[in-house]
Amino acid sequence: MSSEVTSIEEKSNNSKNIITYSAILITFLIALWLSFQSEGPSKMPKVVTDEFTFTAWVNDGEDYLKKNYRWFTKIIAGYIKNGYYFLEDFLIDSPWLLIAAIIFLPCLIAGGLRLGLYSLFVIYFWGGTGMWDESMQTLALMGLSVLLCVVFGVTLGVMCSQSDRFDNFMKPILDTMQVMPAFVYLFPALFFFGIGGAPAILATMIYAMPPIIRLTNTGIRQVPEQTIESATSFGSSKLQLLFKIKIPLSLPSIMMGINQVIMMALALVVLACFIGAEGIGGQVWLAIRNLDVGWAMEGGLCILFMAIMFDRFGLALSKPKTTLPSDVQKFYLLPQAWEKYSIARIIEKPLEFFSGLVNFVCINITKYIAYVFEFLISLFNKDTAKDIGELLSKRYYIIPSFIVFFLISFIDSSLFKIGSFPEDWKLSIRQPIADGVKSLTVNPGFIAFTKGLRGFIYLNLLRPLDTFLTHIPWWYTTGIFVAIGYFTVGLRFAFVTLLLLLFIGANGIWPQAMITLSSVLVSVILCFAIGVPLGIIASYNERFRNVQNVVLDAMQTLPYFCYLIPVLMFFGGGTVSAVLATVIYSIPPIIRLTSLGLTQVSGTYSEVSRSFGGTLLQTLNKIKFPLAVPSLVVGFNQTVIMAFAMQIVTPLIGGKGLGLEVFNGLARSDTGRGLAAGIGIVLLAIIIDRISLAWTKKQREALGL
Amino acid sequence: MKISKSISALVLSLVLVLGSFGTAHAKRLTAAVADWTGGEITCQVAVSMLEEELGYKVKRVVFPSGTGLWEAIAAGEIDFACESWPSYAEADTVMMKGPLIYDGQTMFNYEGDGSVKLLGTSGIIGLSDYYIPRYAAESLGIKSWKDLNKHKDKFATIESGSKGRLIACPVAGWNCHDQKRLDLLGIDFQADELGTEAAAIAEAVAAYERKEPFLLYLWEPHWFFGAYDMVGVKLPAHKTCDSFTEANNWKDCGTAAWPATGWAKDYTFNYGNPDTFAKPEHAKAAEFFTKMKFDNADQAVMLVEVKQKNRDLKEVVKEWKDNNPDKWKSWIPK
Repeated sequence: MSSEVTSIEEKSNNSKNIITYSAILITFLIALWLSFQSEGPSKMPKVVTDEFTFTAWVNDGEDYLKKNYRWFTKIIAGYIKNGYYFLEDFLIDSPWLLIAAIIFLPCLIAGGLRLGLYSLFVIYFWGGTGMWDESMQTLALMGLSVLLCVVFGVTLGVMCSQSDRFDNFMKPILDTMQVMPAFVYLFPALFFFGIGGAPAILATMIYAMPPIIRLTNTGIRQVPEQTIESATSFGSSKLQLLFKIKIPLSLPSIMMGINQVIMMALALVVLACFIGAEGIGGQVWLAIRNLDVGWAMEGGLCILFMAIMFDRFGLALSKPKTTLPSDVQKFYLLPQAWEKYSIARIIEKPLEFFSGLVNFVCINITKYIAYVFEFLISLFNKDTAKDIGELLSKRYYIIPSFIVFFLISFIDSSLFKIGSFPEDWKLSIRQPIADGVKSLTVNPGFIAFTKGLRGFIYLNLLRPLDTFLTHIPWWYTTGIFVAIGYFTVGLRFAFVTLLLLLFIGANGIWPQAMITLSSVLVSVILCFAIGVPLGIIASYNERFRNVQNVVLDAMQTLPYFCYLIPVLMFFGGGTVSAVLATVIYSIPPIIRLTSLGLTQVSGTYSEVSRSFGGTLLQTLNKIKFPLAVPSLVVGFNQTVIMAFAMQIVTPLIGGKGLGLEVFNGLARSDTGRGLAAGIGIVLLAIIIDRISLAWTKKQREALGL
Repeated sequence: MKISKSISALVLSLVLVLGSFGTAHAKRLTAAVADWTGGEITCQVAVSMLEEELGYKVKRVVFPSGTGLWEAIAAGEIDFACESWPSYAEADTVMMKGPLIYDGQTMFNYEGDGSVKLLGTSGIIGLSDYYIPRYAAESLGIKSWKDLNKHKDKFATIESGSKGRLIACPVAGWNCHDQKRLDLLGIDFQADELGTEAAAIAEAVAAYERKEPFLLYLWEPHWFFGAYDMVGVKLPAHKTCDSFTEANNWKDCGTAAWPATGWAKDYTFNYGNPDTFAKPEHAKAAEFFTKMKFDNADQAVMLVEVKQKNRDLKEVVKEWKDNNPDKWKSWIPK
């Protein structure tokens, strides 16, 4: 009986499938026929595009705001700018040893000897590559934006945690902040807050604040009931509860938020060179302009090393801490498992002695200072003196650090000038990299390969898809999207899709939008073709996975336009190069999530399949892949979003479509045009994102996950 | 604990900052770095004079050329920019006021609103055209742009399909209107914007070494002409078209005038924020800009040093400055 039911169900499923597939085929054939019919690229009728003057509205609005409210934005920008110049001057003008100490000592204290040595290496790298000033500018921009993000983010987070209404109000705003590509508000920021530091910092705040608001909010909300209960029963007021119990208990969560803010701020601060912010980003851009791979690479590495340093520092800080006596452990340089080797012991011994010495000195100096302070203040007030003495004597490391800072400043100002980073300590990897790349680019085999690949991608993927998508009438494409939206998400979303696509069309940028869509699709196809096999290999081989993870981490830390350089070098400029750069940038999630999806498939399934005599390929194909589909779709999703984000920088190497429109708008200071194109990119990304998310959900439900 | 720790760190570092902040301030100016090498050199020449001779501290901002730059200067975000080419700038007639004087002669009289100040000529005279390599001109018998269509298949690439390919003006903000020009003149070519000067030149170098025919947008002075033998395609002589502006929605004048013609001879100039240069403390800088007169031959030599011999731009400019004091001493106000 039951078997009959399932067979009937299967049959109806099958016939349903056939209907769906044939419907898709017919739609496609009609589209193909339509695209052959049309002469040129499809565009909305001129009547509509001429009437719908979104760009003019934006420009008028901007003019109005500029005229009437610019004084206000200028004041804000002025304050931020002053703060930024102040910090920048301090970082650049002070003796380099002082800056090095300010970075090195906290790293040493928080993260132990290994992080300390790493930070020294980073500092040396900045100076050695001749990018000391630029690194300081990036640091200043980042420091100030992180500070502001933390101040405002924690405040907003606390407010969210205290009021559900405010929380509900903030949620959609935070969502929008996270989805919008930074470029879209980077440029309007330019018109209100001027160029350089101030708009960069404000844009960074928009970009990087959401995680800290969210993490503060959840951190405070997750404080256990019992704790709050007992605090209230002891009679603490609401404010006391908040500041004495809730915030201290949610500190780990807040620290995690700060860490994320730092990483995101770094990414955006580098991008902000497009609106005239100084720093390493500007160097990388100059290098791209000069096609100097070595130079660009040095800049990229400066950023990468900086990011890793801050990340590790943040992690070390947010870890639960132990007090001094066991801190000695941190001075181990080598893994402790190596202790059985005598060489390791020989290296560690002096280190241990040295750390003991440092601790001894630090503790005694601190005690002495604490004693002096206690004595001095006790002349006025005994109680506060005791408190202060206790407070000071606990800061074993901080006070000696400051003594070091003061000493360096003192030596610099009165004995002899330390000045900027010594020029003789040069470390240039520029030439070797440039030479390596050059030898490759003149290699005939390599030229044949790049030419072949370029031709293949263009002739077989990009050109057919470009012409196909641009030549289908706009109403037909819109119809297809609306239908897909209706079947995957629902009626409401279908309606929204219609509106969004009509908006794009009415702005007269339909052909550009289709070109962008086609480059994104080709990039995503290539990402799959390359990423999925890599993910499969990684899921079977742990060593490969570990190496790959490091590479992917590095890839995700670099600012996006770093990827333009190798592509430009090897493949020249043009639309194909734009696609290749997009592939490099947006491939990490698909590799990661493929390997994650495949490794997560529980061992029992593959065990069962194997015991039934399934081969490796069968297991992969029939068991693992279907179960990993949700994870793959998430990967697809992220890849698509990243590919869309990349479209805004690819015009630098010859990309076309909406990205070029943004650039054109910017070059003519036509905010409306740039904004319309930028919004077009966001809208396309949102539509595809929602559709694929809904599809994943359906898949998950079908699999019963 | 941690909060109090970070607060104490913050307070102490502020104290530190205040302590070390006693250093005196130099006079500051902000300059935009041009996005082509020739402009970068001219700018570095001006900046090195300001820094080494007039005691300025100049902040160099990387900012793409185009109208955005003009607005940034008008708003005072950037104090000055160097070597603007009149036929590429579309904001100049709207925002500048006053005569452009070269060698005592008035070349053009601007009648804009004066929100940007014309600081004076840079001394560089620019020429732009479309060029093909001499070997292609000779073997194919191309004498002018009118012959291009006959051989368009030889200029085609995978991307341009049946059309020929122009390695076009690379940066959107330069307002070259290449595709428009090709269409108006009936040249069946496709303009490829490669994003940067370096990318366009790399493409041209590769094609030259393979001895393929190619059509290249380029300007003089440029090092490329020293290394490779190129001939111009003699675009029709320049004629301005008044209706071809943003405000008029780019209404072209047909084949009679711009952009269906070639470029005019460009007497390039430096420009800056009027308020900045009206201040008495910047009087010397303003005077310097009126006196500055760099020249094509010097720039060409330096271009070869920087781009072909791969030397550091600042170093090359410094070397020129040290070796030719007679050329620039007269620019420096007493």
